[in-house]
Amino acid sequence: MSEVQAGGWLERYAQLVGPGTLRALEALARKLHGHRLVMVNTTKTGGGVAEILHRVVVILNELGVPTTWEVMEGDERFFGVTKKMHNALHGHGEKLTSEDRAIYAERTRREAERLELDGDLILIHDPQPAGLISLRRSKAQRWVWRCHIDLSSRDPDHWEFLRPSIAQYDASIFSAIEFVPPLDIPTYLVPPSIDPFSEKNREMGVEEMLAILDRLGLPRRGPWVTQISRFDRIKDPLGVIEAFRMVRSRRRARLLLAGGGASDDPEGAEVLAEVRERAAKSKDVTVLELPPGSDIEINALQRASTVVMQKSLREGFALTVSEALWKRRAVVASAVGGIPLQILNERTGLLARSIEGAALQTVRLLDNADLRHDLGAEGRAHVRENFLHTREVRDTIAVLSSLL
Amino acid sequence: MTAPFPFSTVAHLEYPAGHSASDLPSLREGIASVPPESLFFHVTRVSLRHPRARDLPPNDFANWTASALQEPEIAERLAFAGAQPLAPLEELRASLLRILDEASKKRAETAAQGAAFHFISARSVKADLGLVAEEPEQVVHLWPRIDFASAFYHLVEARVLGPAEDDLVAWLRRAGAARIADPAEELTGGGLPLMRLHREIAARWRRSLIPARLLRRAEEPDAARRQDARAVVARFAGRLRRPQREPEE
Repeated sequence: MSEVQAGGWLERYAQLVGPGTLRALEALARKLHGHRLVMVNTTKTGGGVAEILHRVVVILNELGVPTTWEVMEGDERFFGVTKKMHNALHGHGEKLTSEDRAIYAERTRREAERLELDGDLILIHDPQPAGLISLRRSKAQRWVWRCHIDLSSRDPDHWEFLRPSIAQYDASIFSAIEFVPPLDIPTYLVPPSIDPFSEKNREMGVEEMLAILDRLGLPRRGPWVTQISRFDRIKDPLGVIEAFRMVRSRRRARLLLAGGGASDDPEGAEVLAEVRERAAKSKDVTVLELPPGSDIEINALQRASTVVMQKSLREGFALTVSEALWKRRAVVASAVGGIPLQILNERTGLLARSIEGAALQTVRLLDNADLRHDLGAEGRAHVRENFLHTREVRDTIAVLSSLL
Repeated sequence: MTAPFPFSTVAHLEYPAGHSASDLPSLREGIASVPPESLFFHVTRVSLRHPRARDLPPNDFANWTASALQEPEIAERLAFAGAQPLAPLEELRASLLRILDEASKKRAETAAQGAAFHFISARSVKADLGLVAEEPEQVVHLWPRIDFASAFYHLVEARVLGPAEDDLVAWLRRAGAARIADPAEELTGGGLPLMRLHREIAARWRRSLIPARLLRRAEEPDAARRQDARAVVARFAGRLRRPQREPEE
């Protein structure tokens, strides 16, 4: 039986999820004793997957499941191809050329030789390293493909390139049922999760929060309504401003639109310019471009918010909602993508279908501290049970053990 | 002599059930054809997703009918049909279909794009918790160490989906412990959120054991009773010194 290490991550998690949940996790992990797991992705830092792996690998090892993390390397040409692939699988991108295909195949072959894929369980994250399966070393190994992206609007050309590789896996995992393409291998659903101890989600005192607001040049006095999302049309930032104008005509409040994604994305820059232009014509609206790695700033901004909005037109899983709920914030969101799994209307937050609906729900929350408190408390409890890393580890163990 | 009862926890492997719905007729079609495990997932297992809720949210069918189809009356009826966690799944299916048959004569609302209902099914991966009750009274002592998933599995899932040997109430009855089985069955059938169910069962069990304990105590020598009393006081003092914290709330 594995023991919880004093001062380890499991011990810290136990304080949040309780000893019963931890005991259950240990019992499930015993099913993988005697096996060795290798996780593979393409970056050690930056991005949601690396963030998850940093913590999950440690938790699995503390549970007695020997787990290593291999990072597939590539040059600029390879990552140019995988970036193209990533965009196309999200529904917007160029066709793959025969040169692109050759670059992908060649790098995959070289990396398959270099990487230490010596466990009997191999968990490959996302499309970039998916081709490694074609060089699998032993039939006894079990390979699982964990897709973190939404494939519902996938480009058929790119998917047809990837599909023969995916078909060789023993199983696949997707974050939500809406993201799953037709596949002939077992497919499981494991929602993503947040780390309550990361810079983005850790507890933060009021003094620290206010100091960050000061540093960002934001007035301390609210109430703040915020949407923290990259500047992208599908996040509907202009709709958020419109809804806020309706709110502002009835209540005193400030709107903050904060996010990244504008500096390296021409369309993002265009959206940001439009948002700035519209914001300039509106009272009490602030637009803030956040550089990558602004985790602690996001933490402070979410905590400073009286209402957090996520008025997207389309979404992936939208873990920003769980982040806000974890901080006991009152959330107004659209019922798209993974949001309805996180927001149960009138229980863990409020759903809206229109600009007027978003305005109405925001006014309700601004006016009613009890409602904000109740939704925030229930929202945090919902995240604790369903969207922390311990739950994702439990589900991943279940998938892997089902293949043995 | 009844065999010992080993407690297990479960994780649920969720997977697409192969149907989706965008309106009431397609919801009906899905409910009619998905396997019982999918009905169990969308209706009964809602309580495992919200163990600490003050009151349970309606089942997934009712929730979607209310939010995506804007049909509060039908949603209310679907919620009521699903509010009996121990009902056999084919009875549940028949109740849901009856409501949708009546409703589909009146309306034909369609969900907005991107708000379709996708049926999910699930199967359980069981893991031994290493806790075994040799006799019914031990269940009462082990109960505080059982996680929500384990409680749900032994009280609801094993009863409705099987396997029968993991049905805790059935085991208690076979072992002749109706006084322990009855409150567990009654409270489970009431559809309480799991945390409250877990606590209330523990409280009822403790109360149900008081008469038997008093009888036993009366037959014990004075020295043994005094020793027990000292142990109780010591435990109480220990608890006062180190207050046990629930995970948050």
